[in-house]
Amino acid sequence: MLAVGLPHFLVVGALLFAFGAYCVTTRKNAVGILMGVELILNAANVNFVAFGHYAWGGIHGQAFALFVIVLAAAEAAVGLAIILTLYHHFKSIDVTRAERLRD
Amino acid sequence: MNDAIAQNLSSLSAFGPETVLSVGVLALFLLDLAWRGDARRPARLTWAFAIVLAGAAAALAATPSSPRGLFNHMLVQDGLGTFFKWLFLATAAYTAGIVVHSREISSERLGEFYALLCAILLGMDLMAVSGDLLMVYLSLELVSMVSYALAGFRKGDVRSAEASLKYVIYGGVASGIMLFGISYLYGLFGTTDLALLGPKIKAFSSQVFLTQTLGGTAAAQLALVVAVIFVLAGVGFKMASVPWHMWCPDVYEGAPTPFTAFLSVGPKAAGFAVAIRFFEVGFTEVGRGGLVNTATVPWPAILGILAAITMTLGNLTALGQTNLKRLLAYSSIAHAGYLLMGLAAASVLGFQSVLVYLVVYLFMNLGAFLVVTLMAAQTGGENISAYRGLIKRAPLTAIAFTIFLFSLTGLPPLAGFTGKYLLFAALLEKGGTWYVALAIVGAVNSAISLYYYVRIVKAMVLDRPTSDSPVVVPRTYGFLMLGSVAALFFFGLFWSPLYQASLKATETLFRG
Amino acid sequence: MRPAQVHDRRRRGAMPRWASVALMLLAALALAALMLYRMLAGSAPPEGIPEATRNGLVFQVGHVFALGQLSDFLWYALAALTVGSAAGVAFSRNIIYSAFSLLGTFLGVAAMYVYLAAPFLAITQVLIYIGGVLVLILFAVMLTSHIRDVKISNASLGVGPGVVGLAACAVLLGYVGASTPWEALGKPQMMDQAQALGDGFLSTYLLPFEIASVVLLATLIGAVVIARRDDPATGKEG
Repeated sequence: MLAVGLPHFLVVGALLFAFGAYCVTTRKNAVGILMGVELILNAANVNFVAFGHYAWGGIHGQAFALFVIVLAAAEAAVGLAIILTLYHHFKSIDVTRAERLRD
Repeated sequence: MNDAIAQNLSSLSAFGPETVLSVGVLALFLLDLAWRGDARRPARLTWAFAIVLAGAAAALAATPSSPRGLFNHMLVQDGLGTFFKWLFLATAAYTAGIVVHSREISSERLGEFYALLCAILLGMDLMAVSGDLLMVYLSLELVSMVSYALAGFRKGDVRSAEASLKYVIYGGVASGIMLFGISYLYGLFGTTDLALLGPKIKAFSSQVFLTQTLGGTAAAQLALVVAVIFVLAGVGFKMASVPWHMWCPDVYEGAPTPFTAFLSVGPKAAGFAVAIRFFEVGFTEVGRGGLVNTATVPWPAILGILAAITMTLGNLTALGQTNLKRLLAYSSIAHAGYLLMGLAAASVLGFQSVLVYLVVYLFMNLGAFLVVTLMAAQTGGENISAYRGLIKRAPLTAIAFTIFLFSLTGLPPLAGFTGKYLLFAALLEKGGTWYVALAIVGAVNSAISLYYYVRIVKAMVLDRPTSDSPVVVPRTYGFLMLGSVAALFFFGLFWSPLYQASLKATETLFRG
Repeated sequence: MRPAQVHDRRRRGAMPRWASVALMLLAALALAALMLYRMLAGSAPPEGIPEATRNGLVFQVGHVFALGQLSDFLWYALAALTVGSAAGVAFSRNIIYSAFSLLGTFLGVAAMYVYLAAPFLAITQVLIYIGGVLVLILFAVMLTSHIRDVKISNASLGVGPGVVGLAACAVLLGYVGASTPWEALGKPQMMDQAQALGDGFLSTYLLPFEIASVVLLATLIGAVVIARRDDPATGKEG
């Protein structure tokens, strides 16, 4: 049970996902939400590489994880560019204050 | 490895439209720089974009649609993909027609808009032909990333910046969740190739069914359920279906109207393309006399419930809206619900009805947004009050808008009725209490939607105009409106060409 | 927004400090208990070794190494770092602390990759996530620093429902991960990863590779389009 195997990595992945989901659902700060997204992406990546290593072999898991890393960086760049633009408007990045779009 | 390279090379010939679009992204961006300071730049750029689209169309026409895998099964070539590519090209061309006279995209930035539109078109094309979940993820992200930028395209407008912030947050979460789901699918089956996943899921399901009492396999089944629901999150985000619809009204309102128009049709259709492939491959197979759901989890029922909630929520919320862009946003959520009914039917006719409805939806929804763009440019108002007495100020526009709205409701003899008729027919073909109940929910929802569409018509026809100045309709808009109205009447009365095209597109599905 | 209101919101919205400290302590305790258990439960040393040597500290430590236990200890420590930092990201009241906690998570995940025989990925993780993404995030945090984590409105969950959701999510996914009989379980596969990846990207994964570059290009254009500010005086972009 204690010798490290696939389930251990999956549990780490699950916990990372759970914390990321918590971050995303409770945070109001836009940067905080983006951090939660990064946690979720890392969770998925740990799963991919762990499955590739323990169960299926080959490089598919790793290749998938590499693409994810690349896109995560791109997404962070776009997200932060938008956050900075909004900051210029509001001098705040609290998403609750971005409330001009409300019913 | 050499096989892989050889297959990549041989696949290039079937990659024409995408190649043209990729080159188009760069070319438009460079031309935009080269023509800086030229007074005729907007017109030239529009022509350049038209040429790129024409090139892509020509390449698409030259590409065969016989089913085969491309680029080591990263993409598939089949009738379904070709159908969607034509749909996307038409959407982009229509959007370009709307952009030309929109005040929201300044002529300074037209080149960037066209370049990014090309990129998003490329992403949607790839979504429609993805044969591997890796490509689904990549192309979905391509569409998303560009959409974030385009949603925030109105400079100096706080609403636009907010819209893109909400979009990037919801989009990032949705794609992250989808990715987590894909990782479990990979863990369970060792592949992300959709063609290989299908048989494995079928084998897995029957095995689970036999040994369901064992504790371990219950966990495995749960893993499959979690994986599929998570993948649905990413796709549902693009379709704007409940519960991943929250971004939709804000983004639709904040984004520049021509892009809102594009967003309401293009990415939604691309989401449905992915969903059709995903569910066709994994969860249905040809059984005795039709399609049988093989997974032990009742996916069609889940999709059906999702459809019912989506359209009901969309329609009920739309009732209270006064801003036209928000109203159309909720209406587009409701339409995602109608389209999900076709998926829930999980039959060839169901998928066909989705395709037909998407084509019809293109004309009526883009038409409606065309009028909204026109009114925003002419009167500066997006509220219903700006439309009061429109029939006196611009009779033809008012009539065209009425036709679009009635078609969205699904009144005969317009094409919207054809689309809804096929969706309901697909449900009733399956029989069963559940399907009939879903169809009834759909019918009730159409009746509800009539109320808020008619409210706009009433404002246009019965109310007093707020000003006497006539609304000037640019010639391009006139042509587009006329064309859309003609298409809606034509497909409403003679829908067999559309039906045949969708039959051709779906005939390669469910082959075994 | 009035200062009093800010204060009130902060108190309602964030987790109290004692709770974050308690969480970290709990993680550390769990880790220590695990390591202790492993120490005590270690198997007997091999026969034929003199008593004096066997009782020596050097042998004891070496024994731990030899049985591969240390690597497991280390794994638990790293896993605790990863998950604990993730908890820090989620629960920290100050967004800057969150950002620095994220550093721990990224490093921990890189270590996980090393354990999974994916050194190339580990290096990429360090270079791109820590060198790129984290720096971007820190930039954003610092540039907008005087805005703290002010919150609470109807659009997102409060801490209570959030924790319930967190627990449900963790239990569900943890159960799925731990109890599914994953096929071919326990057959770690070793290979020359970097070369295989390089070959793969130029053959099997050629199209995704190219599309990823298109995504990066489009993102680049998009980010420039968003971030560039128009000059309000002339209406032209500056």
